[in-house]
Amino acid sequence: MIEVQGLTKRYGTNTAISDVSFTVQKGEVVGFLGPNGAGKSTTMRIIAGSLGASAGTAKVDGVDVAENAKKVQATLGYAPEVPPVYTNMTVRGFITFAARVKGVDDVNKATDLALSRVGLTDRAGSLIDHLSKGYRQRVGLAQALVHDPRVLVLDEPTSGLVPNQRIEIRELIRELAAGDRTVVLSTHVLGEIEAICNRVIVIDKGRIIKVGDIAELSGAGRVVKLELARPDGADVALAKVDGVLSVERDGNRLLVHTDRDVCEHVAAAAVSFGLLELDGKEKLEDVYRRLVPAGAKA
Amino acid sequence: MIPVLAIARRELGGYLSSPIGWIALIVFTLIAALFFNLTLWGYASQAMQLGMEEGITEQMVQGFFGNLTVIGLLLIPAVTMGVIAQDRRERSIELLLTSPVSSLQIALGKYLGAFGFVVMMIATTAYVPGMLYWMGDPDTGVMVSCYVGFTVLMGVFVAIGLFASSLTDNQLIALAVAFALSLGMWIVGWLGSILGEGSLATIVKHISMLSHFETISRGVLHVNDAVYFLSVILFFVFATTQRVEALRWR
Repeated sequence: MIEVQGLTKRYGTNTAISDVSFTVQKGEVVGFLGPNGAGKSTTMRIIAGSLGASAGTAKVDGVDVAENAKKVQATLGYAPEVPPVYTNMTVRGFITFAARVKGVDDVNKATDLALSRVGLTDRAGSLIDHLSKGYRQRVGLAQALVHDPRVLVLDEPTSGLVPNQRIEIRELIRELAAGDRTVVLSTHVLGEIEAICNRVIVIDKGRIIKVGDIAELSGAGRVVKLELARPDGADVALAKVDGVLSVERDGNRLLVHTDRDVCEHVAAAAVSFGLLELDGKEKLEDVYRRLVPAGAKA
Repeated sequence: MIPVLAIARRELGGYLSSPIGWIALIVFTLIAALFFNLTLWGYASQAMQLGMEEGITEQMVQGFFGNLTVIGLLLIPAVTMGVIAQDRRERSIELLLTSPVSSLQIALGKYLGAFGFVVMMIATTAYVPGMLYWMGDPDTGVMVSCYVGFTVLMGVFVAIGLFASSLTDNQLIALAVAFALSLGMWIVGWLGSILGEGSLATIVKHISMLSHFETISRGVLHVNDAVYFLSVILFFVFATTQRVEALRWR
């Protein structure tokens, strides 16, 4: 559905993204993860057709965005981090306007549906200027949805929201992703990626450093956490297990770094040291910390 | 065409829901009324002294619109300064850039919306013909020609302002650029007068809006004047289209 190949964007001598390539299949929900300035928004804007690439291609449903942006945009909804709203319009007026510029046939029906989907029916008559940040984010989502696009590109849809609003928007995205709609979203919140996405693309300094299934990434058994009753000598014994790279000990707790999923063997070796607890699933947060160098915060 | 009209309608609605739109409308209406009264006062004094009622069209209509043009020159850049610059500043332009509308449709829609508002401003002077018919027997042809000429001239200022607004996200810079460009095109004819005769002087005089407007304000609508004004409008709308396209692929 989305095919990005060798995408590069330069601003003078500064390279925002370099040789970014990935594909997103129909119906997938893919999370874009990376620190500030990593190139997430740049990549999304190129896919949405509001920014040109210096090199490479972005295709949606086989159509090159650079060659036929209008055709792509007819089937793609884009919600930037800052909702692109006219604050002096009412919510309904703005969504109706968005429906018209997006070429919707039945404007009133599409507006009603979009407002209802994002839970803004009660606020339809309110001036956007009077809305809270959370409601403005919903307006931003509604404009992206109003033409019922098959692809949704959402840039930090929960940015700056309080926890309750985050949960609401997260639920909404999950609903939108149901069916065969393709969703690409970027977020600072790792939990959001785990809760919503099937796959994650980790990007740092304009380059993709990891693409993988959430389950695959967080369950790879690359780091095994142990708690032992009698930890003395356990670190030496565990280090001898095939596939173990290193062992860190902190009192009764041990962190075993491995090069593959050898959880079963580590557990077998740890039994004789009084195994109390074993966690072989590396959390996405741990994966992210491992992939993105310290100092670069999401 | 629907997206163009939608953008134009939103733009027009934006003026009517913003303080700057209402301030511009009220200021224009009040100054126009003041100019009309001053022109009327001058005409009445002259008519009483000379005991004549002739020349009402020339003195009233041409004098009125001549003065009003200066107000348009000052006011239109303020009206158009935010038409694209504000969208850029508030990032609402992103909606248009990621919607299936072309840069030309965006530029045309913005132009029509701003021009529509300016036509509303001009419409507030509808009492002028009414008063003139009540006072005497004005030349309808000259009056219509003056209205058409003035409206088209304001359309040129709007196109220049639209282009200036597409150059920056700072409304004050857009205002200054629009004013400088409009004034430049207005007074360039004076340079032609200084140059005297010759091909360069002829070219400069042709570029000047003033010389073309003077012909129309005399009640004569030449094809070359119409072509000139439409060409200038199209040129600046096209230049705006290129700027919007550049925003998309910058």
